[in-house]
Amino acid sequence: MLNELRVNEKIIRLMVGFITDIQNMDGIVYYARPDLTLGAGFGTAISTQGGPKVQEELKKTGSANITDVVVTGGGNLQAKYILHAVGPRFQEEDSEEKLEATTLNVLRKAEEHKLQKIVFPAMGAGFYGIPLEVSARVTLGVAREFLEKAVEPKEVVFCLRDSRELKVFQENLQKMK
Amino acid sequence: MAQNARSHKASKVVERMGKKLNRQMVGSLVGCVHCGMCAESCHYVLANPDDPTYAPAYKADQIRKIFKRNFDWTGKIFPWWVHAQDVRTDEDLEKLKDIVFGKCTNCRRCSLNCPMGVDFATINRMARGLLVSVGVMPEGVAVVSKDQWEVGNQMGVLPQDYLETIEWLSDELENEFKDTAARIPIDKMDADVVYAINPREVKYDPRTISDAARIFYLAGENWTMPSEGWDMTNFGLFSGDDELGGAVVQRVYEKVIELRGKRLVLSECGHGYRSTRCEGPNWSGTGVPPFVIESSVLTMLRYIKEGRIRVDKEKNRAAVTFHDSCNNARSCGFYEEPRELLNLLVTDFREMYPNRAENFCCTGGGGAMSMSEYTPQRLKSAIIKADQLKATGVKVVVTSCHNCVDGLTDVIRHYKLGMKVTQLVNLTANALVIPEKVVVPVEALISVVTLPLQGFKILVVDDEPDILTFLAAVLEDQGATVIQAADGEQALALTIQEKPDLVTLDLSMPGKNGGYVFEEIRNNPEIASTKVCIITGKPELRRLIYERPVAPPEGYLDKPVNEETLLTNIRMILELKRPHGHA
Ligand code: SF4
Ligand code: SF4
Repeated sequence: MLNELRVNEKIIRLMVGFITDIQNMDGIVYYARPDLTLGAGFGTAISTQGGPKVQEELKKTGSANITDVVVTGGGNLQAKYILHAVGPRFQEEDSEEKLEATTLNVLRKAEEHKLQKIVFPAMGAGFYGIPLEVSARVTLGVAREFLEKAVEPKEVVFCLRDSRELKVFQENLQKMK
Repeated sequence: MAQNARSHKASKVVERMGKKLNRQMVGSLVGCVHCGMCAESCHYVLANPDDPTYAPAYKADQIRKIFKRNFDWTGKIFPWWVHAQDVRTDEDLEKLKDIVFGKCTNCRRCSLNCPMGVDFATINRMARGLLVSVGVMPEGVAVVSKDQWEVGNQMGVLPQDYLETIEWLSDELENEFKDTAARIPIDKMDADVVYAINPREVKYDPRTISDAARIFYLAGENWTMPSEGWDMTNFGLFSGDDELGGAVVQRVYEKVIELRGKRLVLSECGHGYRSTRCEGPNWSGTGVPPFVIESSVLTMLRYIKEGRIRVDKEKNRAAVTFHDSCNNARSCGFYEEPRELLNLLVTDFREMYPNRAENFCCTGGGGAMSMSEYTPQRLKSAIIKADQLKATGVKVVVTSCHNCVDGLTDVIRHYKLGMKVTQLVNLTANALVIPEKVVVPVEALISVVTLPLQGFKILVVDDEPDILTFLAAVLEDQGATVIQAADGEQALALTIQEKPDLVTLDLSMPGKNGGYVFEEIRNNPEIASTKVCIITGKPELRRLIYERPVAPPEGYLDKPVNEETLLTNIRMILELKRPHGHA
């Protein structure tokens, strides 16, 4: 199955792993809550491995709206930046469009900060209930379109949590070939 | 018209209900004749005889009326006749949440007596799932679900922490047996046993892992623990989220297949057993996996019967009783084997009544331990369990479920029963007869007598002078430099001033309580990386584990704490290179 897609000189890559442990990333994407509290899940990893600085920075922003992306430093994490993307949750109205906008905003922020390599989770899938198929189709589609024109980022990685997620992303990447 | 009047969330709930209706569900939704026979089965009803809202049939009606209004023809045409009523607003959903999460532990005891075969817990679980899908759930449920979805286990144990903990336990074991083979293998291919556990064991009860490892080692088992898919618990069973249920089970199954393991052995956890062995194939849609799945109770029993390990019941002389977990006993019919094993391990076993499939819930089932907003009503309903425990006249309760350990511990403390909870794995390990070849020579023992806490500075915080003295004495004996604080303010000041490696923190203290102190520590960048071990007699403050705006504590111990447990946990916390200590 396909794990990579070249878009001009840039690349979209799929892998299975744990997002905060991926080496050599300039930015990691965190699917954030509107109140910008890191909370559980990957938030536990960010607050534990990144230290309290990340939440401190978020406190200054306060809160954000759905589709907003807030950029903070990575604290003690490998990655320099964390892109806190406030995506749609729990079957809210127009989830798909909002997910599209959120993903695009992440990529714009990455470009703005000149990040070469960024890594996404399966956006909104799992806990927030965006169907895996929708998450894969929308985020891969937006990433591909963005990479066609943009200078940065050069590499967009999707770090998936298990083979169940990987399979659906692979299928969608295959369709885009 | 009714449709238009519904909030977005309410319409999504109704829409999804339609998709969840299968024959079994509809049977339970339409079957009730309101005979009331189930009421006497439910511990909530028995503890609240004057409150009809706890009756299983009443609770079921709150879900049933939505079904009738939207899916049953009588309800659609004559809603007034069959008490059909729609769910319209977000407030309606909140009210429903307080019933399905707060007034039932999904223990299924009420289904025992129902002449119509109604299984209320199935309907209740469906309703939980519908609410979760629109984001209406207790905060603790959200935290645990998200941890299991994203981190891969219910307690948010990070991959590196898991591996380091196993490594640390391996070192301990190797040291104990003076044998390099006495280690816990990770991801060993072609093992006869792949052992999956409850994350509570890594985080707060590492002794159960090393006890199991001792047993596997002495049995000469070709075994391994997996690096991923090691959490055999499944919050999907509690939250009603079948997708989570399926994803978790699939991770466990796939890892065993990848390792070409022959048998998946599950540590003692009732809901994990039910989820992984019984419900898993349905949720995941993967069918029955190509390997055997068994409870570690069966594995231990087999080792004894086959003579692979020898046990001496004289080593467990205290009188014990046995608590059947609802998921093991009522849902899976797994109750004779634990008794068979228990009888080989102890000299004095006394049944509690009722027992087996009719036993009362520990009152912490169905994820109740993670929902702190309902703790007062949970503990009030626990009087039934407390009376049942007290009537046994013994001081030790054995159970084969990690969730029940926590549930029972809370009941025991709240009702001051002075009992201790333990599991079959602990009793088996304690009763082991160590064969000659692995008996550690005396010289070796002497050579390892060093002071394990040498060089560590520990701040102990408790408002009870006796406990402070006990903690300080035990830790100082092991070489630690101990400082003491008797209240929250002093604790914070000393943490900033002395920068200890670890703080043991009591939660309930006058003035600034331990919960406040903990969050202050975590929120102050200067001291945020201090390791914290909560030691508490207040179960309701478990929210620090389950609902946390900050990184969770490294350790959590229930009072009363004995010396051995205290030292194992403190050493593990201090000796592991957890990210907190290396900011
Ligand atoms: S499942 Fe258990 S807690 Fe829930 S109503 Fe029935 S008896 Fe009561
Ligand atoms: S015992 Fe069965 S039929 Fe009778 S009230 Fe309870 S659920 Fe309904």
